[in-house]
Amino acid sequence: MANKKKPGLLHKLLDILLYPLTWLEERTSIPGHSGIVGGIKYFLFRKVPGDISWGHTLGSAAFTAFIVQAVTGVILAMYYQPDPDSAYESIRHITDDLTLGWLVRGMHRWGASVFIILLFLHMGRVFLYGAYKYPRELNWIIGVLILVLGMMEGFFGYLLPWDQTAYWATVVGVNLQATGPFVGPFLGPILQGGTEIGSDTLARFYSLHMLVLPGALAGLIGLHLWLVVRVGVTSPPWSADPAGKPRPGPPPPPRAGLVAPGPRGARKR
Amino acid sequence: MTTRGLEERRAEHARYKEDVKKRGKPFFPYAMFHDTVMSLVVVCVIVALAFIWKFTADEGPTDDDSGLLGKLYDEKADPGTTNFVPRPDWYFYFLFYLLRIFKWPDSVILGTVGIPTILLLLLLALPFIDVRRERRPLRRPVAMVAALLTIASMGILTWNGAVAKEPLAAENLLNVPNWAKEQGFADNNDAVEGAKIFAQVGCMNCHTYLGAGTSNLGAPDLSEIGKTSPRGVEGFVTYVADPSQFGNSVMPKFGGPDGLGDENLRLLGIFLQSSGTCEPPSDACPSAGGQ
Repeated sequence: MANKKKPGLLHKLLDILLYPLTWLEERTSIPGHSGIVGGIKYFLFRKVPGDISWGHTLGSAAFTAFIVQAVTGVILAMYYQPDPDSAYESIRHITDDLTLGWLVRGMHRWGASVFIILLFLHMGRVFLYGAYKYPRELNWIIGVLILVLGMMEGFFGYLLPWDQTAYWATVVGVNLQATGPFVGPFLGPILQGGTEIGSDTLARFYSLHMLVLPGALAGLIGLHLWLVVRVGVTSPPWSADPAGKPRPGPPPPPRAGLVAPGPRGARKR
Repeated sequence: MTTRGLEERRAEHARYKEDVKKRGKPFFPYAMFHDTVMSLVVVCVIVALAFIWKFTADEGPTDDDSGLLGKLYDEKADPGTTNFVPRPDWYFYFLFYLLRIFKWPDSVILGTVGIPTILLLLLLALPFIDVRRERRPLRRPVAMVAALLTIASMGILTWNGAVAKEPLAAENLLNVPNWAKEQGFADNNDAVEGAKIFAQVGCMNCHTYLGAGTSNLGAPDLSEIGKTSPRGVEGFVTYVADPSQFGNSVMPKFGGPDGLGDENLRLLGIFLQSSGTCEPPSDACPSAGGQ
């Protein structure tokens, strides 16, 4: 941490203050790789192309919406009761009686839509920039999975208020899935936890909505971010000077020699 | 050739890494500034939506959508009433509307499973379909046109799904005398009662009848069902009571403990049997009703 050449008082003080970080780094790093502190430092101070701008904020915006969903969801889970007899009343209680309960529920309700919209916008941006091409194919696939899981969150969360809209939309939704070939007929009873939509269905949907899917989403988002950091973000393709552009002018790609053929053929692409 | 393509890609990415290292800017504070501003905007928008929702909605459940963003909550779920409005969240509207295009039972599977699966697979496979290195939008006409077409069709489907109006039970009920006259079952009290049940319990959220109702989820028109279907009153009753017995897993069950009850189902069956079978209107439509 400290500058070795000037072990002044200030640096000694700094060493003491930063000791917890050094301690953490020593215990989380494996030889040759940085630990948590080094990782965060790398994340923060890594270089990104100089020409990126607002277009590249959509991913982190969607991530923010996800965090909002997680926080408001945890608060809602403290008051919500996943049981057909009391689910509706608990939602009314949250909305009408609890201090700022309406705000938390409203943010969760509409944050879901904002999250989906941002996922679509982010995907549109990646498509426009052609950023799904080599070497970012895997991250595109992970992104599509995040979108699918995000929409599934919407489907399973829709039932939880246990009102008429929720109930009947779910009846139709489950019935539609049951039209699928092969697995369809089994999917309905598995999703519903029986032949009817009832307390088992609600418990099942609640568990999927607040444990399974958010966990999977968090994992995928982590992986997505890790790949973003590892591979790097693309310059806008219309940029005057995009990173990775073929070198113009003076130094042409070095030829191997007189005899050996050059690495590139005559054909351009 | 493939190998050279791969080599070029690798070389390009190596150049990218080098350029970023040499000429890039650090994520913090430059990119992080944009990200932070954008994230704050997102949180503000979400909070604003919650405020608009809360303060423009009427108190308690209401019949009509109240407020700019709809009501705070609907009536409590009641499996006993089947007069439901199957309305998903907006991002499923495109699917919802797709199901109006494909009719049950022949092609509904296209709408429920076929098209969504194909779309998803195409989306997942995109990086392997579009393998050119070119990233500039204007030099990727095929990709751009395909994207615009996809966005346009999703937009149209979503919009149509959003404005698709469900008929209200009260509106449907007004049609019953006309149906009785047109179908010739006006003198058959059971059929008229059955028609009232048909108009109110939600059948017309998916089925059409003499031009009324909305076609949804691929449900067929029932104006002539008494003629086109050989089921008979008993057959209709068993079918409506539990359509899944007949391979129809889209239509909900109307029988059982939470259903309409035997008497109502019987009336409904008589009404269905009377539909389209009384062209030369006769006394109480003896060809229909069956009782």
